[in-house]
Amino acid sequence: MPNLPLDPTDLVLTIAIILAILLYLREYNQRKKLESEGDRFLREIKEKGWETLNQSIKKSQAVIGQAELEGIKVIAGSQLETAKFEQDLSKQLSEALNVSKQTIIAGQNQLLQFMQDLQKRSEEFEGASKKAGQERINQLFDRVEQRLSDFMVQTAQQTTSSIELELKSTRQLIDTYKSEQLKLIDENIVAMMEKTLSIVLAKKLSLKDQLELVYEALEKAKVEKFVV
Amino acid sequence: MNEILSIILKDTYSLTSLKHRLRILQSYFLKTFFGEIETSVNMPLSPQDSNWLKSLPSSFYQKFNKDNIYNIFSGLEKIGTNTPILTMHLAFELNDTTLSQIGAFTRKTFDSPSLLLDIKVDPNLIAGTALSWKGVYRDYSLRAKLEQKRQELLEEFRKFLR
Repeated sequence: MPNLPLDPTDLVLTIAIILAILLYLREYNQRKKLESEGDRFLREIKEKGWETLNQSIKKSQAVIGQAELEGIKVIAGSQLETAKFEQDLSKQLSEALNVSKQTIIAGQNQLLQFMQDLQKRSEEFEGASKKAGQERINQLFDRVEQRLSDFMVQTAQQTTSSIELELKSTRQLIDTYKSEQLKLIDENIVAMMEKTLSIVLAKKLSLKDQLELVYEALEKAKVEKFVV
Repeated sequence: MNEILSIILKDTYSLTSLKHRLRILQSYFLKTFFGEIETSVNMPLSPQDSNWLKSLPSSFYQKFNKDNIYNIFSGLEKIGTNTPILTMHLAFELNDTTLSQIGAFTRKTFDSPSLLLDIKVDPNLIAGTALSWKGVYRDYSLRAKLEQKRQELLEEFRKFLR
C-alpha cells in the first residue's frame, strides 16, 4: 500500500475542522439574518401599536364626548321627568288621600253600623239566652221531678219486694220451726207413748204374757235365722 | 269331760248360773277330798244350790277323785269359754223358774242343747226381747215394734187429737 503524503488522522481532523468552521459560518449568517428580520418586525409592530394607540385615544375622546353629551341629555330629561313624576305623584297622593279619607269615613260608618248591629244582636242573644236558660231550668226541674218520681216508685217497689222477701223468709222460718216443733212433738208423743206403755204394760202384762212375747221373739229370730 | 259338762248344762241355762254352779261344785269337791273351803264360796248353800247338788246323779260324783279334780275343773273352764252364748235383753228380771223356762225354750227353738244365755235387763224394751249373737244386736221387743209402726201410731194419735 502506497503511503499518503498526509496522515489520515490529520486529514480527517482537518476536514472536520473545516466542516465545523463552515457550519459555524452558516449558523452565524442565519442568526444575523434572523436578528435583522426580528428587529424589522418589532419596528413594524411598534409603529402599528402607536398608530392603534392614537386611534384608540381619538375614539375614546369621541366616546367620552358623546357620553358627556348623552349624560347632559339624560340629566335634562331626568329633571323633566322628575318634575312630571312629582306632579303626578302629588296628584295621585291627593287622590289616594281622598280615596283613603272616603274609605275611612265609609269604614267608620260601617264600624258604627256593625257596632249597632252587634249591640242589637247582643240584646237578642241575651234575650234568647235568658229564654233558653229558663227553658233549660224548667227542663231540669221537670227531669229532676221525673227522676225523683221514678226513684220514689223504684224505692217503693224495692221496699215492697224486700218486705215480700222478708215475709217469705219469715214464713219459711215459721214453717221450718213449725215442722221442727211438730217433729219434736211427734218425738215427744212417741216417747210419752213408749213411757206410758212401759209403765202400763209393766203393770198390766203378766209374767205369762211377758214370756209369751219372749217366745214369740225367739221364734221370729229362728225364722230369720239370726242364731245359727 | 264333755259328759260332765253336759250333765251340768242339762238344767243350767245362763252363764252366771254356770259360773256359780262350777264354783260351788269345785268347793264341794275340795271340801270332800281335802277338807278345804275356798274363801269366795265360804257361805252356806242356798236351798236351790243344795237341791241342784242333790239332783246330780251318783255316777257324776264318781267321775271325780283327788287326782283329777283340778284337771277336770281346769278343762271345764276351758270348755265353758267355748260354749255358745246368746245375750238376751229382757224388760223384766227373771227368777230361776222363768230362767229355766226361757232357757229350755231357747235351746229347743235353736236346737242347741249346750246354748247358754247371758241375761241383761233393759226396762226400755217394754216387753219382748232383744238378742245379741256374735256381736250382732237385733231388737225384737215391743219398743222396736212401736218404732216400726211409729208413723201409723202418730197418724192415729193426730186423728184422735182432732
